[in-house]
Amino acid sequence: MDIISAFNYPVYLAIFICIYGCLAIGLNVQWGFAGLFNAGIAGFFAVGAYTTSILTSSDLPDRLGGFDLPVPVGILGAMILSGIVAWPVGKICLRFRGDYLAIVTIGFAEVVRLVVRSEHWLTGSTSGISNVPRPFGNLPYTQAQIAYLALTGGILFVAYLLIECQSVSPWGRIMRAIRDNEGAAAAMGKNIPFRRLQAFILGATLMGLGGALYAHLNRGVTPDAIDPMIASFLIWIMVILGGSGNNRGVLLGVMIVWIIWSASELMTDQLPTEIALQAKYGRIFLIGLMLQIVLRFRPEGLLPEPLSELRIRENKDSPPRDTVS
Amino acid sequence: MTAILTIKDIRGGYTEADILNGISMEVSRGEIVAIVGPNGAGKSTVMKAVFGLLKIRGGSIDFLGTDITGWSPNHIVQAGICYVPQVENIFTEMTVQENLEMGAFLRRGDLSAAYDRIYGLFPDLVSKRQVVSGSLSGGQRQMLAMGRALMLDPKVLLLDEPTAGLSPKYMEQIFQISRNIRDTGVAILLVEQHAKQALAFSDRGYILVAGTNRHHGTGQDLLTDHSVAEMFLGG
Amino acid sequence: MMFLDLANFYLIPGIVMGSIYAIGAIGITLVFSIMRHTNLAHGDMATFGAFSALALFSAIGISPYLVLPLATVIVGFLSIVIDWIFYEHLRNKPKILTTISSLGVGLMLRSVVQIIWGVNTTAYVTGINKPYKILGLKVKSTEIITLGVSAALVIILILFLNRNRWGKAMRAMSNSPDLALISGIDNRKVVALTWFVVGVLCCCAGFFLGINTELKSMMGWNILLPTIAAAILGGIGRIEGALVGGLIIGLIEEMSLMVIPAEYKAASSFVVLLLVLLLRPTGFFRSKII
Repeated sequence: MDIISAFNYPVYLAIFICIYGCLAIGLNVQWGFAGLFNAGIAGFFAVGAYTTSILTSSDLPDRLGGFDLPVPVGILGAMILSGIVAWPVGKICLRFRGDYLAIVTIGFAEVVRLVVRSEHWLTGSTSGISNVPRPFGNLPYTQAQIAYLALTGGILFVAYLLIECQSVSPWGRIMRAIRDNEGAAAAMGKNIPFRRLQAFILGATLMGLGGALYAHLNRGVTPDAIDPMIASFLIWIMVILGGSGNNRGVLLGVMIVWIIWSASELMTDQLPTEIALQAKYGRIFLIGLMLQIVLRFRPEGLLPEPLSELRIRENKDSPPRDTVS
Repeated sequence: MTAILTIKDIRGGYTEADILNGISMEVSRGEIVAIVGPNGAGKSTVMKAVFGLLKIRGGSIDFLGTDITGWSPNHIVQAGICYVPQVENIFTEMTVQENLEMGAFLRRGDLSAAYDRIYGLFPDLVSKRQVVSGSLSGGQRQMLAMGRALMLDPKVLLLDEPTAGLSPKYMEQIFQISRNIRDTGVAILLVEQHAKQALAFSDRGYILVAGTNRHHGTGQDLLTDHSVAEMFLGG
Repeated sequence: MMFLDLANFYLIPGIVMGSIYAIGAIGITLVFSIMRHTNLAHGDMATFGAFSALALFSAIGISPYLVLPLATVIVGFLSIVIDWIFYEHLRNKPKILTTISSLGVGLMLRSVVQIIWGVNTTAYVTGINKPYKILGLKVKSTEIITLGVSAALVIILILFLNRNRWGKAMRAMSNSPDLALISGIDNRKVVALTWFVVGVLCCCAGFFLGINTELKSMMGWNILLPTIAAAILGGIGRIEGALVGGLIIGLIEEMSLMVIPAEYKAASSFVVLLLVLLLRPTGFFRSKII
């Protein structure tokens, strides 16, 4: 019995690592390959989680949906809708310098949060959506967890392979060229805003996928599950610490950051309840600090993108220049 | 005449690659020295090296007996060297008068004497005092840029292509003003595309090729030297 | 009577919120034009300012207005220190990294507020602040003081930028950092000065938000988007633009209540932001930098 429960925790951790892996690879497509700073990851995550919940949960009288559709349809729908909402966001912002995308994606995530909290007919507002089916949910707990891990692990592996193929393809090379030298890429006749939009949408679909896997794991989703900044930040740190532009590095970053984050939770759980609030926000403070430390001491990440060291050095030496569009 | 600015065997560049491969030159009080040469020879880079805007990996820059190699620009300005870059050389959002005031940022107290001196050198600017400098013509901009650099009474003035893009009339005017400035005791080191005209009006000249100085002499000597003329001045 | 209702329920609150946004937006615009990045920690810096004023007030007493100058100085210096620790080493790297870093700084400031002061809402003074009636217009004393101090801050800042040597140096550096350096202006001092001014403005925005509404740890984060929208609407880099932009955003937010449910009030400034980016990305006053 003890052996099995000791086994349960690592499995639980591993499932989350796979879910965060999807989100982080999605961000890597946007930031690592295309240099787009998406500060509203939680927004796309929420769109994915709620879409699949609405599509696959069973019927309820006062709420849209409960279409009782199969899980794969739900997941696919989540990815498609995340991509669709990414389109106008990207379309409006990608003409400008990077800060505007950051601002608008923050706004997007806030609007998603407002909708999730206010529109009862769509999202069940504060009570959220429950009775979302869980694949292999009928098995005993341990087997169900392992089966779900196999499922998320498989999906992550496929996503990783597909993105890896993309990134070494001509498409990937063009993306990097745009990121590193926009002027030269434009002079070669590349349609930069369109390419960036492609990367942005592709990344968003992977974030929607992460959200969907999360909803099925928990058999539902509530607004509290999408604390906008914390989720977005963890993923940021995973990508930058691991090595933006390198999928393997990013997955390493996911593992390290998620294990540290979970371990810190185990530790703060031991603290007396009087300081539980302080402990909770102390952990959040540490996330912010961790990002600063990575930016300061290891901006290229643990497993840097090949050639990226050169890129960082060049950026350091050349005089500061702003992209003016 | 003793040199006030001595550049000795300078090497360096913007990144890892060296653009300057051992440049040496001297500038003395009250003379105009022109740097000419083909594109990419490192003419403007020499000025940036003097002004602390470049990674210097070898050699030294001596100003009035002090080694100023690697100093930051505001210390170099304080020491008495002012620089007029080729582009972005005025504050386009500020008035003419404010531009001059920024040129004298390091000097506190009453600036009226300095203003009078600059407006005396550049009478064209007098009527434009309160005009936002972005609306000035090309020639007036160049005058303002030089005026800004002269506000601190520098001992050496570095001019990077002061006549680029100007009409012949303005070019002549800038050259004439440069002579007037020289006659007040300021040494001028300038980079020029218009090699022949520059050598004709300068006291001395250096010809740069591939990051080293190939020839130097008085302006007239360089102009009449056949090998120089054939190779660098277009026959 | 119709007009009075409109004024009392929408225009006056709109102008008061608008002046708070304006003070914040001027800060955003200053950071953008001199440091060339968007300061996403701006809102949380305002929260921190509001709570430090609260701490000072509960320690010293008398009146919250009395401790405001002290709080602004604290936040001013805090801004400089944050720049030294977190932003300075990123100065010569792509500016987006500083923007990312500022988002992290915002999260850290917010959690510091949550650790020290908790997450519950609080207020400087409890009790009902009875409005005065002037020609049928109901105005509270806090609102009059907010408008008065905001106007004074804007006038002082504009005079400083146009008359003072260091103020002109800030404009010079915003116009051309390279040329400012060549002219002998110490860029690092200008950056520190700018952060101080920004910290003061931030603290005032947070303080007046707190005194007109309530104090809570998310207050600053919640005004970040409207503040940035105001700066972009006015034209980034333009002080007068940020002022007008702030007032417009404040008014639109309040007026939006006439047509949309209150939960979505926060989204109205986001819609304005999108429209500006679509139709006139340079803003009203022709931004100098996009």
